Amino acid sequence: MKRWLALALLLPSLAFAGNLQPLAASDIPDLIKPPAHGQRIIALWALDCAYCEPNLQALATLQRQHPDDIELVVVATDNIDQRATIEARLATMKMDAWPTRAYAETPPDRINYLLDPDWGGETPRVLLIRADGSRQGISGELTARQLARVWPGT
Amino acid sequence: MRYLLLVLSCLLSLAATAHDGMPMDMSGGNDLGATAAFDSHGRLYVVDAADGYVRLRHSDDDGRTLSAPVEVNAVSERIYTEGENRPKLAFGPRDELYVSWSQPRDGAWTGFVRFARSTDRGEHFSDPLTVHHDHAEITHRFDSLAVDDHGRVVVAWIDKRDMLAAEAAGKPYQGAAVYYSWSDDGGASFVPERKLVDESCECCRIALARTPDGNVAAFFRAIHGDNIRDHAYAVLRTDGQPSQVQRASFDDWHIAGCPHHGPGLAIGRDGVRHAVWYEAKTRPTIHYGQLEPGQPPQHELAIAGPGAAHADVAVHDGNVWVVWNQVGAEGYTLMLRRSTDNGSHFDEAREIARSNGPAGSPQLLLKDGQAFVAWNTATGFRLIEVPR
Repeated sequence: MKRWLALALLLPSLAFAGNLQPLAASDIPDLIKPPAHGQRIIALWALDCAYCEPNLQALATLQRQHPDDIELVVVATDNIDQRATIEARLATMKMDAWPTRAYAETPPDRINYLLDPDWGGETPRVLLIRADGSRQGISGELTARQLARVWPGT
Repeated sequence: MRYLLLVLSCLLSLAATAHDGMPMDMSGGNDLGATAAFDSHGRLYVVDAADGYVRLRHSDDDGRTLSAPVEVNAVSERIYTEGENRPKLAFGPRDELYVSWSQPRDGAWTGFVRFARSTDRGEHFSDPLTVHHDHAEITHRFDSLAVDDHGRVVVAWIDKRDMLAAEAAGKPYQGAAVYYSWSDDGGASFVPERKLVDESCECCRIALARTPDGNVAAFFRAIHGDNIRDHAYAVLRTDGQPSQVQRASFDDWHIAGCPHHGPGLAIGRDGVRHAVWYEAKTRPTIHYGQLEPGQPPQHELAIAGPGAAHADVAVHDGNVWVVWNQVGAEGYTLMLRRSTDNGSHFDEAREIARSNGPAGSPQLLLKDGQAFVAWNTATGFRLIEVPR
């Protein structure tokens, strides 16, 4: 089991490093579909956003603590044509071990809206989708209190 | 084991979705950031950026046809076009043409504010200069450009020199600062910049408008207390006196983040400061209000809700127009609300144009009292005459 676990923990970095995928409007229904169990965290960030790195780090720590229950998808609102810059920043932030996406459309407003109509594009933004279909969106860098409230016991 | 399966299923779903719909939705990375303005002869000019050049086009038939582009910068350079950055355009008293833009530098969030001028209606431009005297490789970007009644060219921007100094000294500092400079010689040179205010928002455009007494005023997203990102108003003094910065919106929107959503400002001849701005304390909302710096705005109205973005405002003889992009699943709709009583009441929102593909921020222009909306869409630049 331990060997499986080690492999499982290693796999994301092998699978996704340098593997930024585009996020087009037509991809969104799949991305926001409730997961089979647990929850999916869509962590939205932007190259221009200095608050995004600590937010992503906090979510990465959270996901590592709950690998069976939390799926983390890291989505840049910048256009995928900035692939090299986005991938370099993901590597610097050590966030390239998770599935990573970047918008396939600029300006980002329509994809923002399709992901979450109650979001005006401010970053960082966390979109939490639970297996029961409930959703929650949080804008801005997560505070310790928000983290504790949304994910008790972390 | 469960995690392994999850990872594998993610991989498969990514592989499956990577191809769906992508080519149709790709906009080629052009953020459609453009600025348009009429000169005193009624000729329309448009600046945007492509392939390392700020380019200028003009139209003598209200946007139906555009000239071939003229390159503003003879030597290509990097140009910010994303988010709230876009090349800017303004005219001097004798139709001198002034253009500014923000140039990315190598480090994250760094930039220089660049400027060039033409005195022959845009046929030739001066070599670009860097507006600020501080040439540290840090943030100086999100430039805004205006000309006052004396012909001074005023440029304001977001600047992180004070944040970095505070960081080095181990002192707390939220956001960035707003700096500005001006040119007394028609854009040949700029005076050493001065700080308007510390602790402002890092990623929202600064709205500039001329006051009835001929100065340039700024309306911008500031930071009050602990990351309350409401707006502030100030006249940018060019007489050596300090500018007075006052809080002017009071929504109490707390966000440690980047709204990417700057305000709009238009000042009537009667001095009424018509403003539009965005906040999302409870849900995304575009507000209209008449600024009373130091106090909450008058005649405040929630103009639009979720899906509404990047509003602009204009005023002429008691008519006030507000336009914005309304996004939905199908695409972008250009929306309008109009007041005929100087902003006391507005009519219902109505659609005045539609784009299936992406669209940049709309910009209201006035020519002989007639309002137009400049709208740069994926299928081309459009100038829409506002229905009377």
